[in-house]
Amino acid sequence: MAMGFSGASTKSLPSQALNHHGAWVYRVMLLALACALVQPAWSAEPPKAVVDPALAMLQKIQDAARKLDYSGVYTYQQGGMMVSSRIVHLVDGTGERERIEMLDGAPREYLRHNETTQCLLPEKKTVLVERRRGDRFPALILGEGKAIPENYHFNQKSGLSRIAGRECSVIELLPKDGHRYGYRLCADTKTSLLLKAQTLGPQGGVIDQISFNSIQIGEKVPSAQLASSWNTKSWEVIETVMTPIDLTKSGWRIPFPAGYQAVTQVSRPMKRGQVNQLVITDGLAAISVFIEPYDTERNSPLFNGAVSSGAMNIFRTRIGEHWLTALGEVPPETVRDIAEHTEYVPLPGR
Amino acid sequence: MQADRHARQDTEEQASWEASVSTWIDGEGEIRPEELDTPYGRQVWDTYHLIGDVLRNQDLAIKPSDFFYARVSKAIDAEPHIVAPRMLRPRGPMRLGLSGLAVAAAVASVVWVAFPYISGPGSTEPSSTQFIASAGDDPGLRDYLDAHREIAGVNPVRQASFEVSR
Repeated sequence: MAMGFSGASTKSLPSQALNHHGAWVYRVMLLALACALVQPAWSAEPPKAVVDPALAMLQKIQDAARKLDYSGVYTYQQGGMMVSSRIVHLVDGTGERERIEMLDGAPREYLRHNETTQCLLPEKKTVLVERRRGDRFPALILGEGKAIPENYHFNQKSGLSRIAGRECSVIELLPKDGHRYGYRLCADTKTSLLLKAQTLGPQGGVIDQISFNSIQIGEKVPSAQLASSWNTKSWEVIETVMTPIDLTKSGWRIPFPAGYQAVTQVSRPMKRGQVNQLVITDGLAAISVFIEPYDTERNSPLFNGAVSSGAMNIFRTRIGEHWLTALGEVPPETVRDIAEHTEYVPLPGR
Repeated sequence: MQADRHARQDTEEQASWEASVSTWIDGEGEIRPEELDTPYGRQVWDTYHLIGDVLRNQDLAIKPSDFFYARVSKAIDAEPHIVAPRMLRPRGPMRLGLSGLAVAAAVASVVWVAFPYISGPGSTEPSSTQFIASAGDDPGLRDYLDAHREIAGVNPVRQASFEVSR
């Protein structure tokens, strides 16, 4: 199996080069103008014209994933595991509709309408309802992604690659420090839709990857494909109730790795009881920190230190009468640092 | 009167000779230089002065490591819970300073940090990373991965890892 994106190289046409040059000069002038204009109120929002080229490219990929109609099959490989899914994504008058069907292992379906996702678990006759924007592949950015240019070097590779019968251009996002992995992406040249993404380790090797095997983009996608093959009428519907919390106020000092910001802090029910969850992100990588009461009964042997599966790293430690579990698709040292440098100072009177 | 005072000082001295050194440094009581002229006496004298200096000037203080706090926490936990403080004479500034230190120790006692990880009974080696083919196969991990995906399910290389069979 070819892992890289090495494909036929293309010659850049003189006119394109000229355009490029022109655009660059124009951008510099705009930047200078913008600086001159903005100087007195530097804290004000930066003008739209000075969008980072990397961020602009990633936003195009994100927009393509959200606004286009497409259907296809993609395969995800993590460590020694490989699973394929069929995806159908359509935009109609009510917004986005998406159906992802797992093709390997236990049957599983994800039906999404804008922000609401129903996860169908047929063997349990259960529907889990999630109400938040849960973009998946081929979307890419978490949140607005404004911190991405600060944390990654953007590298547009010359030459094209070919994925699922379509030409795509290769982009590399290489980490500026050790708190995140790198990514190599291949985006459709015509529509900017993401066709393949690889996670790169510190030495540049591929840790895990996801790629379309076949894809259809545009009008030909039949809406009938959005309908689930399961009749969920008599199924149990479960919705996770998440309550916003403030971990800092309750005495937790969790050090974020450089470049990461908090996305959300919630208290939520899990199988082991009520658990606090903090999610932080740098725009591409995300880390969850779970805090729950310490309990020896559930001291799974897996948690005796660190667990690693492909790019996913998990580290658990005991802090006072709590378990702290940090996980994410980031280097093992990053989750370990968070876990080992967290402090808990219970507030007086509690 | 004088005799009474001496008697009281003697009791105190028996109970805590160090406490009286503290009061001498505060400028209270009569210094008995002959008692200080021993290696231990000099050490206590120097130590109390050092404590006083640090309390008066934060720049002289060092920040103890997290493990120090953890050890203090453990030691305090191991102490009996009920400790009846002895009534002492009216407190001078040094005493107040020391009680300030005690408060600092009390605050430190509830700074909880990660327990150093140990791979097995009697072993001090940190446990090594376990590499597993699919994190989703372990029911204990699955729950966390699902919760993570639900909020952070954006990254392409992140998402499908949660979608393996439950």
